[in-house]
Formats: sequence, C-alpha cells, structure tokens
Amino acid sequence: MPGQERNNPKAFLSGLREILGDDGLLTDDAARFVYSRDASHLTLGRPLAVALPRDESQLRRVVGLCRTVGVPVVCRGTGTGLSGGAVPGHGALVVGTSRLRDLGPVDSIQRRVRVQPGVLNDGVSRHASPSGLHFAPDPSSQSAASIGGNIAENAGGPHCLRHGVTLQHLVSLDWSDSAGRAFNTGRAVPAERGLDLVSLLCGSEGTLGLVTSADLKLVVDPAEVATLLAFFPDLEDAAGAVVGLLGEGLAPVAVEMVDQAMLLAVEEAFGFGFPTDVAVAMIIEFAGQPEAVAEDSGRAGGFMERHGASEVRRAADDSERDELWKCRKKAFGAVGRLAPNYVTMDVVVPLGELPGLVREIQVIKVQHGVEIATTFHAGDGNLHPGVHYDERDPDQTRRAHAAADAIIRAALDRDGSVTGEHGVGIEKLHVLPWQLDRETARLQRGIKDIFDPDKILNPGKLHPPADADFAALKPVPAEIDFHWANLTVSAPADASLAQLQQTALERGFWIPVGALAGDEGMGLGRGTTVGNLVAELLTGPALCPAGTARDFLLELWAETGDGRLFHAGAPVFKNVAGYDLVHMLCGSGRVWAQPRAVTFQLRPVPESLGYWRFQLPSDEQQEVTLLERLVEYLTGRHGSLGGPMMIVDAGTGSVVVLIPGRSRPWDLGQIGEDLANLLGTPAEHIELPFNRATEILKAELIPGWALNSSDWTFLCRLPDQEPGAGFRPAGMGRLIWQSTPRLIWSPDPETSHPGWHADRFYSGGRVQPPVAPAEGVPFDFLIRMKTLFDPSAALETPEWMEGRDG
Amino acid sequence: MADPRAHSPITELNHLDELLRQCVQCGLCLPHCATWLATGNEVQSPRGRLLLLGEMIRSSGTETDTNATPNAFLQAFDECIGCRACETACPSGVPFSLLEYGQLRAAEIPPHRLDLPVPAVPGAVLRRMDQPGFLEFLSQVAGLVRGVLTLVAGKTWRRRLDRGPAGTGRLVRLLGSLPTSPRSDAELVRMLDGLCGRETQRRNGLPHDVALGASDNPSAGPRVAFFRGCANSGLLSDTSRRFRDLLSASGCRLEEPAAQDCCGALATHTGRPGRSADLRRRNRDVFAGALNEGTVIVAEAAGCSHELKEYGDEFRTGVVDAVVLLAGLDLPPLGSVPLRVAYHDPCHARHGQGIVDEPRMLLTAIPGLEIVEPIEPEVCCGSGGAWGLRYPELSDELGRRKAADLAATGADLVVTSNPGCLGQIADGLRVIAPDVPILPLTDLLWYAVLIRIDSTRS
Repeated sequence: MPGQERNNPKAFLSGLREILGDDGLLTDDAARFVYSRDASHLTLGRPLAVALPRDESQLRRVVGLCRTVGVPVVCRGTGTGLSGGAVPGHGALVVGTSRLRDLGPVDSIQRRVRVQPGVLNDGVSRHASPSGLHFAPDPSSQSAASIGGNIAENAGGPHCLRHGVTLQHLVSLDWSDSAGRAFNTGRAVPAERGLDLVSLLCGSEGTLGLVTSADLKLVVDPAEVATLLAFFPDLEDAAGAVVGLLGEGLAPVAVEMVDQAMLLAVEEAFGFGFPTDVAVAMIIEFAGQPEAVAEDSGRAGGFMERHGASEVRRAADDSERDELWKCRKKAFGAVGRLAPNYVTMDVVVPLGELPGLVREIQVIKVQHGVEIATTFHAGDGNLHPGVHYDERDPDQTRRAHAAADAIIRAALDRDGSVTGEHGVGIEKLHVLPWQLDRETARLQRGIKDIFDPDKILNPGKLHPPADADFAALKPVPAEIDFHWANLTVSAPADASLAQLQQTALERGFWIPVGALAGDEGMGLGRGTTVGNLVAELLTGPALCPAGTARDFLLELWAETGDGRLFHAGAPVFKNVAGYDLVHMLCGSGRVWAQPRAVTFQLRPVPESLGYWRFQLPSDEQQEVTLLERLVEYLTGRHGSLGGPMMIVDAGTGSVVVLIPGRSRPWDLGQIGEDLANLLGTPAEHIELPFNRATEILKAELIPGWALNSSDWTFLCRLPDQEPGAGFRPAGMGRLIWQSTPRLIWSPDPETSHPGWHADRFYSGGRVQPPVAPAEGVPFDFLIRMKTLFDPSAALETPEWMEGRDG
Repeated sequence: MADPRAHSPITELNHLDELLRQCVQCGLCLPHCATWLATGNEVQSPRGRLLLLGEMIRSSGTETDTNATPNAFLQAFDECIGCRACETACPSGVPFSLLEYGQLRAAEIPPHRLDLPVPAVPGAVLRRMDQPGFLEFLSQVAGLVRGVLTLVAGKTWRRRLDRGPAGTGRLVRLLGSLPTSPRSDAELVRMLDGLCGRETQRRNGLPHDVALGASDNPSAGPRVAFFRGCANSGLLSDTSRRFRDLLSASGCRLEEPAAQDCCGALATHTGRPGRSADLRRRNRDVFAGALNEGTVIVAEAAGCSHELKEYGDEFRTGVVDAVVLLAGLDLPPLGSVPLRVAYHDPCHARHGQGIVDEPRMLLTAIPGLEIVEPIEPEVCCGSGGAWGLRYPELSDELGRRKAADLAATGADLVVTSNPGCLGQIADGLRVIAPDVPILPLTDLLWYAVLIRIDSTRS
C-alpha cells in the first residue's frame, strides 16, 4: 500500500539507489536545499531526495517506483522557470534531467533532430548550425533553459512572432506516464487527425507525464537579417506604433520593447551606450530573402518615424545586432541591480489592447506607489512588467503584490490571459480562476485524474482548487466578428469559411489554411464551415496554405457529449494558462467535443500568386526526374505567408505550379527564370493579386478534377523510409502536391501504398472520421478521455474505439 | 599594503547578505560552470553555491561557524574550481568574491570532514608544489615515464592505460597532466616545421641566442621586470627563456629581480593562508622598487599575473599578463605559419582579467594562420591547480570535454598561456585526439619570428 511504504523512506531510497547507482541519487542537506529553489524564488518544502537519471529507462523506473510507493515526482530541467513549476513540495522526489543530454544527428532534409530533455535550448541551435538550421523558440533564458523545461512550459521568446511557440516545433514526444510506461505521441504525419496529445503534454508543467526525448522541428537560418532599433519618447505611442505596423501587413520576425526603467538597469550592467532619456527602446527584426528584408525594414523604419519614434537606427552588422539582442535578453537578469526582490508577470493581451494596458499599468504604478520595469514581446501582445520591492519592508512587499494582481486583472479585463509564457505553477494558482470557467477547470482536473490517478506528478501545481471562484463562461460569438486591431477573427462554428476568408482577403489578411472560393464542389473550390475546419484540421486541398488550423487557432468554445459548454484559450498569440484544450481538440473530429465557436489569428496575405503551366515530357523516367527536381526547388522556396504547390495531371501531361510571393524581378521574376531553366518555357504564365486568385483560377486554368472531385485522400511519406523512393507513390497520375503541410492529395480511391501514410479524408463528399492512431499511443487514456468528454457516447465514436476498454 | 582579502569588508556578514541579494537566481550561470556541466548536479553550480551561502549566513545569524555548517554545504565550495566563468556570465553582476568567501570557509575545515574521492595528496608533496626545483625533478621523472610508455605502448599509451585499474589511472593522469613543451629549440622547430609541412634539417641544432637576435632599437620598448612563476621556471624553463628572448627582440629592457618567490596562489589553494601572506609580503618588497620606477611587472602564466594583481592597487595597474604585454609590443616581423590554431583561454586570463582579444590579435598577426574557435571558450579546462589533485575524476572529465571541444574545431594545433591548462589539455588531447599537439602561445610566436629571420637569411 502506498501509505505504508511511504513511511519507510529508507527502503524507498535504497530502491532508488539500486536503479540509479550511488552517484545518481542525492540525499544530502545541500542537495535538498538547493533543489528546493528555482528562478521563481518560491518554495514549498524540502524534497526527500534528488534523482539524476543517466538514461531514459532509469527515469521511467524511478517514476514507476514512486507511483508504487506514492511519493510525488517533480521533474526539473535547469530550474530557470519563473512560476515555481519545478519547486518540490515536502517529501517529494526531484527528478533532474540534466544528465539526459543526448543530441541525435540533424536530419537536414526533414529538418528535424531528436534530443533528450536535458539538452539546453541553445545547444540544439549550436548543434544544428553547421546544417544552416536552428531551433526557433528562443526564451531569454535560452542559454541555460533545457528543452524538457521548454516543453513543460510551452516556452516562447521574441522570435515566436514569426515562428510560433515551442508546441509548433514538436514533431513527437517520447514520454513516461505516472506508472513509468513508455509512450510515443507524435505527428509522424504533418496533418495527423485525432486528439492531439502533443498539444496536451506541451505546457502541462510536468503534471501529466515526463518527456524522455523529443523530436524537434528545425527552421532554416535566414539568408538576411535586418534589425532596427527605434526610440520613442512616449510609451503609449510606441505600443500604438506596433499595432499599426502589424496592421500594415508587414511581417517582422520579432518586435520587442524595453521601457526606460529596464533600459537604465541594462545600461548600468553592460554600458551599451543606448540613450536612457527615452521612454522605450524597440527592436524590430526582419529576416528572409535579402531584397524582401531591405524593402520591409525600409518601410518599417519609415512607419516608426511617422508614428512617434524620435530616432531609428539600423544594426550595421552581426556584432551590432548581437549587442541589441543582448540588451533585450539580459534585461531580466539585470533587474537584480534595481531591487532585491521583484514579481515578474507575463500577461498577454490581444494586440490592439496593448496601448490601453500600457496606460493602465502607469496608473497602477502610481496608485500602489511601486516601481515597475517592463520588457515586452510587443508583437505578441505579451509583456513582462516587473514590480520591484525589498522583502525586508512588509508594506512595500504587500503593495508590490497588490500591484501585480491589479495588472493581471487589467489584462483579463482586456480579454487577455494571465500567462503567455511562464506557466501557472504555484505562482498563478490564485489568479487562474479569474480566467477559467468552471466547466473548463473541471475538464482539466478530469484529464489530470486520467493521466495521473494517484496524483504523484508535480502535485499542487497548475490546478486551482475545485471550489475556487471561477469566471463566468465567456459569451459565445453569434456572428463573424473581425478584430482588425488584434489581427483576430471570431466566428460561430456554422459560419462559412469562404465568406470569412473573402472578407479578410479584401483587407489584405487571411487565415493561412489555404484560400477557398464558392460553396459548391470539393477541392480547391470547396466551401466549408469554420467548425468543420477546426474539427477536421484541413479543408481538403486548398490554395497555398501556410499550415493547418492548429497553427492559427487561438480560442475555442465547444460542447461536451452531455451538452456542457466550455471555453478554452484566449484571443491572444501566446497562452499557457492551464492545459491546451484548444490545440488538443483541433482536428479531433467530433468524437470528444463539438466545436461551437472559434477565434483565429489573421496573418498578412501574400501580395501575388505566380501561376505557371508546363507541358511534361512524354518519357516517364524524364517526367519523374523533372518533378522530383521541381519538388526540391519548391521546398526551398517555402515562405512563411503561404506555401508553394503544384498540380500534376497525367491526363493532359501538364503540371501547374502555384507560388505566392511578390511581383518583383527578384522574387516571382527570379522564380520564373528558375522554373524555365528547370522545365523549359511555360505553356502559360500569369501573375495575379493573391486575394483575387481564387476567382480567377476557377476558370479554365485548373484541371476540373482538382476543383470538383468528391473523393480526397492525403498521403504523406512515412518517416524512416529509404530516401530516393520518389516524391510520390509510383504511378500516381493525378495529384496535388502541397509544401505546407507537406502532403499529397489524390482524388483516386486507390490509396494503399507501401511506405506512405494515407488518410481517406473525403469520400463521396463527406469527411471521414480520423483513422486509428498509430501504435505507441496510450489507447486507455484516449478512451477514458472519451468518457470524460462524452460520458453517454452521444457524439460520434470511431470504429477503432469500439470494444476497447479504458 | 595589507592583504586585501584579510581586511576585505566581505567578511562582514551584512555586506555579504547585501551582495547575495543581487543574485536573482535566474540560472544563466549554470552552462558556464564547469563542475555543473560535468556533473549535472546543481549543488555544484554557482547558483546552488550562492543559495547555500545565503542559508549559511541566515541560519548562523552573526558569523558563519564552520563547525556548525553541514559538511555537504562546505563540500560544495571545496568543489568549486574558482574559474570565475560565472562572474563573467552573470547579468546581475554578482561578484565572485562571494564564492571565494565560501571557499575560504571550506579551506578552514580539516580535510577528513570532506568527502574527497582520493585520499588527500600528502602534505609533503603539496607543500613542495611551489618549489621550482621539486617541479623540475617531477617533470624529469614524468618525461622519462612518458617516454618509456610511448616506446612500449605507442602513441596511444594514454588512452590504453586509461582502461587500467583506478589506481594506475590516477598515477598516469598525474604524470600526463604535468605541463611540458619542447625543451630544446631544435625540437620545437622540428615539431612545428613538421606540422607546417616544412623541411627542417638545415636548422638542426640552431643555438637560441643566434635565433632571434636583439631588437634593432633596443631602447624603444618598455622596462619590464620579469616574474618567473614556479610552474614556468620549474616545468617550462625553456619556454620561459624563449619568452624572454622574444621580449628582448621586441625592444624590452628586461630585469629579473633575484629574490622573488612564488606568487602565493598555490598556498592559498592548498589551504595555507599564512604561507600565502608571507610570499606576498616577500614579493611586494622585491618588486616595490621596480614599481616606483614605472617598470611593468610581467608574469608569464595567467595564474601568476592574476594573483599578483590581487596584491593591491599599485600591483593591479603595474602588473601585466604576458599575452597583453606582447600584444602591445612592436614585435619583430613574423613568418608564415599555415596552420589552423585554436586558442584556449585560461580562466585566470579570460574571467580573472578580461583578457579575450589580445591572444587572438597576436595569432591574427601571424601570416597564414587561421584561428578557429571552440564552442565553449568560456568553460574551464578543469585543471584548477591543486583542485585537480583533489578531484581527479571530475578534472579528467573536464579535461576531455575541453579537448573534445578544441579538437572538434579541426585545429592542427592548440595554444594557451597558462601552464596548468597546458598540461591538463595535453592530457585530454592524448585521449581524445592524440594527433593534435598543444603549445604555449609564446612558443608559437617565437617560432613565427624565427621562421621569418630564417627566410630572410636564406
């Protein structure tokens, strides 16, 4: 019995020692003291001991032993977290991942690398740098923070503005459940449908399982980077300028701000020589193709000057850029120079609310008589106000914490979230109920019970008490509602996606899941609803998507099988307030819950679309070689606003190539030349405004089957297949190849091809339920989740689930 | 001038507490700390040690009582190499003097209270480590044994013996990590010629005084008082001689006060503050005259120059590290050395004195040479003087980690400027990359000068 053995720590410790060896278990006073602290300055108690496993099997066996004995497990990377997520309670076992540091080989074709959780964030990029790749999430603690910790907290960082948070860079996770069982949960297929456990585990703060290794996505180092530094005499003007800049449709990779108080601290620490008589220093960075970067950064600089900047500088070279970033990234540590103690928040608000919140923080500062220094991930609406105090002064301490709570209230009043990056941990347990509704909190606790029935995984974190005073359910949007300043759109599930996209496209924005037009037919011309997009992840083949619904979904209202409405997420670009039900449910069909309404992020639309049609050679071998070279070329031309695609039609012996870009000699002009070198003179070529492309393309330019087929299967090459087997299954004559997500769509019913994953998406015009998940997935958890969300099995139940027990 | 440490306000607990509050516990120091990198144990990290120090101060109230402090707390400070990489990395400006304070506390306690992996090195040996004669003797024995082992077991002897029983491993390590550089000029020239792919025969047996010659303008350079350093004079006396030749050839007017003694760093490291204070007093007297005349004191080893600067303000400004001095001199013309070279920064230079650019400037000045940078230039090699004798396994692991990082740059040659690092990395390289040699930076510079003279003569 757990209770009995818990009273016999000696036997437990010797059991641990047997697994870990003497060197792997720390029980001395110094270790128990040091591991009771982390960067949050919060404490709960002294741990019983610290385990430092050397391999994944040791880690799982340790967790398994803790489960049998009933000892809590607190997983820890390097203790750089700011919400107390890695702080152990009294008598817990800390499991440190610092000895799990294996880095796998970099797969430069698939742009992936497999790493163990103790590898440092920086270490991944260093490792990938010879291949011209890097790991995009870049929290300010990246030099010391571990990948395991990044995953547990779903870490962000300045460059998330372009690349997204940690979740968007996970391919798959190997993890241990609370019983020490090994699972692999992943997305071998870029558009795998079903309950997305990667989204659930990422950001779950060690309360559901322990990651033992992760398959990470890497991104290509940009050819050119331009970094601007703008100074503003007024803080609110600066915040307004950020909203305006993004509203112009410019797509910087990062927009960061440091306020005057923070600037003074950094200047004192490092003496960079920045002016300290300004209210804000802002960093704006563009990256990518040199000409595009030059054009965009020129426009951004001009925009800032017209909107209140007193000075705009441009980093002349890499070392100047490093200096600018050092100013931003070392700001947190430099606050040690301002006061002995501080509360740092990470509230996030819808982009358009940023100037208002900035104004309100000034008021709070005066009202509570406190000093506040702030750094901003301004482009994300995410800010880190730090309230400074000296804990030796009780009144000052009380005022500082009151001011912090007031700032969090202010963010929530503006439809924000209590935490965008740092997590709930123990720090935000008292404020999380201000944001979550009762039903969402109940589901979150239910998930915890399924994954960790004995409550041994990081107990006392992330979940507020069940009897807390939770927020009221946020009203469900009744109609399509664009929030242009926030760059978001809310819509009920039954709204027409085509209609929504059309309105957005006219303003120069879209949800980049591919453009659609009309309400008839399938494929490129198919109409669907917003709810279908969320449930099904994809819309079928669509025009030049830059990702799936999961990449752009921010907020979800849904109904459980027994008719309970709940609301998850927030209309903000980063949010780690509790389990990520939004992304977990996106693409899960209507098996666990029914979408009722959503909020999506809007992104700038590509300026133009290049259309080329080439006649293919009649010789089959020649054709295969040409198409393979074309695929290689298109993969390299992948942009962030929309992905290239091609339509191969054996019937007419032609290939249509569609590439979003700019109508400039250096962009679509150059691409045209490259294509001509590859495939000869095109039979037809036009460049059209992207936002009108679907209307024009419906006419005779696209093969009829691509627009009208009522059957679609998507195929994806399975990992670990021999290279050189071709980019498509042999003999497939009609297909649509899409670069993002990298899929092939086939209208032909014959879909079984060795080495390929095939998902019968539409059949006879109806979307098919998700296929059975791959092995390595915890079926029992999936089925118990079904019982949690749909206790009476009122929603659809896929065949693979029937007859299985939870 | 009194010993700054003995009268440092840091012994006042209030002041300590105030300094400790500068640490925001962000953890950015962790990846720069060699002992954390090697063990993954946060007790052996700067943040962990600062947390422990805070607890020691707070729980004792007035004075940190070493006897009342749990052994594990003190052990954490004993395990700190003292490389100061954390101080360089810290964004909050937490001074290293805090950890140094903890180290001094740990040094006060009897060794039997610490959990040391090896029985303490006999005091009789430790006490002699600052005596050049004894070091010279050790070095000759080590050289002999290394020679025999190479004959018997071939070039990979070190790697082979590594797999032997633990006892032999430690002995081999001790022999392997004693710093060494070619004794005769001919041997050095032959070795570098070989690396550069040059013919050597003609220069065999070249007498050193002919090699460099005096400066064309002997009164142009600064007046320099030469500080010998025990490891350099005992183990690397020929390198030391070549360094002085280099200075003379660059126009320096050299003097070498005879009564000088060890700088005292070793005595501090081995827990003998009394001896250390004696040595400081003696050296201060010996060099006082030179300082008054505006002569700069140059120390060849980064460890010595760092320690001498701690003597007081006039030494802080009057002492210059060899690499910094050389970088500011009008060196004789340098010949081409077409090699890829990685420089290892001694912690006493990089973290202790902020010396980063100077050695690289010197290397860049050599025609044909390409500098390659390791991934972790700021991480300690794990030598740590007497520390390496107390924690041989940890020291070994760090030496190999460093050797692997340096070898991964694809360097043909590694250079450094501190005897401890030289021996430690040589030992690591013998295991990790036996084909990559390591030399003192000054020996490489000496060779570059020689090559140029040689080419103009031929």
